[in-house]
Amino acid sequence: MRAPGFCRHRGALPLSVAGLVALAACGGQGPTTPTSSGSPPVDNVAPLQVSSGPADNTVNGLYVSVTICVPGTSSCQTIDGVEVDTGSVGLRLLSSQVSLSLPPVSDGSGHALGNCASFADKSYTWGPVVTADVQIAGEKAASVPIQLVGEAGFPDAPSACSNGGTAANTVSALSARGLLGLGVFRQDCGPACSRGASAAPPVYFGCVGSACSAASMPLSSQLQNPVWLFPQDNNGLLIGLPAIPAAGASTASGSLIFGIGTQTNNALGSARVYTTDAEGNFSTTFEGRTYSSSYLDTGSNGLYFLDSSTIGLPPCPRNDSDFSCPSSTVDYAATNAGANGVSGQVTFSVANAETLFRTGNNALGTLGGPDTGEFDWGLPFFFGRTTFIAIEGQATPGGTGPYWAY
Amino acid sequence: MRTPLAAVSIVMLATPSWAVLGEKAESVASDQQRLHGELRSTVGEGLAVHEITAADGTTVREYASPAGVVFGVSWRGPVVPDLAQLLGSYFPEFQEASRSPVRRRRPLAVRTDRLVVEMGGHMRAFHGRAYLPDALPDGVSASVVR
Repeated sequence: MRAPGFCRHRGALPLSVAGLVALAACGGQGPTTPTSSGSPPVDNVAPLQVSSGPADNTVNGLYVSVTICVPGTSSCQTIDGVEVDTGSVGLRLLSSQVSLSLPPVSDGSGHALGNCASFADKSYTWGPVVTADVQIAGEKAASVPIQLVGEAGFPDAPSACSNGGTAANTVSALSARGLLGLGVFRQDCGPACSRGASAAPPVYFGCVGSACSAASMPLSSQLQNPVWLFPQDNNGLLIGLPAIPAAGASTASGSLIFGIGTQTNNALGSARVYTTDAEGNFSTTFEGRTYSSSYLDTGSNGLYFLDSSTIGLPPCPRNDSDFSCPSSTVDYAATNAGANGVSGQVTFSVANAETLFRTGNNALGTLGGPDTGEFDWGLPFFFGRTTFIAIEGQATPGGTGPYWAY
Repeated sequence: MRTPLAAVSIVMLATPSWAVLGEKAESVASDQQRLHGELRSTVGEGLAVHEITAADGTTVREYASPAGVVFGVSWRGPVVPDLAQLLGSYFPEFQEASRSPVRRRRPLAVRTDRLVVEMGGHMRAFHGRAYLPDALPDGVSASVVR
């Protein structure tokens, strides 16, 4: 069950209720319910909004409010409009939205450390790694490496980062003030970036003057999923969103709840556990064929699967060709299976995207489009469901992460 | 089904490279940016496939016609590779066609009269492909590019 090595305490914690809950959670007794003291547990619920975002230029954007502090101080700032992205890991904030002066992380040789995140739409974020205390709801992680995107005075993105893509360094380009990556991993890059510079993908860079070159980075200096650094409720999270009417809804509200089986509001209940492979994927079987690289991604704003020749859904015309435009709504069923062999059917629908866009609604449960031979279960999957994400190496009542459960 | 592929060769290259769409297959050796990869070539009826695996885990496949022209490329790896390099002279066309500023962060699908590009994935696991519909060899389907 719970390996002692996975239990992480912050050294400076006073012997508070929070500290006691953390100690109890690390004792390996399964779900922790605050008991004899009668004190309330830590507030583990953050409100979520589905909207067009702070730049009013997207649909199915999922947003939360995040508070950052200069480490160990009460000098703090709250930033709203931060997109919740289960397709990435780590907190990335637009430098233009951060007023605090946060201490930079160096690469061990005293050089400035740059981080690069690439995204499926060929956008990227580039900027220095700094540390901040990160608070969401009542949960606070100390000295977390985060990325400041588009920091003035920092070297330009090296070509190995930009790769012909577009910089997501403004609220408009990012459709958010930052990204809160809450995928199944503890770090953004993980072991691939810590095993030696010659084999490291271009994610971390050491900068000398204006020249930045790819570098190996220890796991502890990489961008972290803040959830596993919380003193309690640190084994995962759940995302709860309401069902959306067929024509969509102007906006929607839900909850981001930290911990799995740690409080009365985050029990797995009847949810099925689908463990992932080393890349965070499970498999989807659709119309007799099995696709091995499926994932749940709140940062994708639609259901993206296969291509028009496979599923027969015509792409929308012109600039909307990333979306599907069937003449009428089409209903589908697919079967997801975890690496643990657990499987279950998912039903979903794809409507004409241009019709949906014309409603002016921002929460769209039937928005879909093509993805080459794969299944990217974007935000519509999360509507009308409670979806759990267990972080790698973290013990939960449903087993050790990484897994998705719903 | 296609005829079984006829020959396989594996070559360790000190300086392997990515393929370039629309150019001669020799372009596989034209770029010296990546180090310590492995090139695996497979020749069959109607096409040749050159697969390069880089040290960071990125795999790129180049699909060449019997005339030696690269009609498709695909990729899979921890980050999105250098698209300017992979798409070569078609990159500006891709840039223009993918300039849709709203409703961001999703897989991309770009289709022009000459070019198809599809890419997706998430952090640590990206994938994509690009091909030239008019350059597909006779009897070869675009579905081979994957």
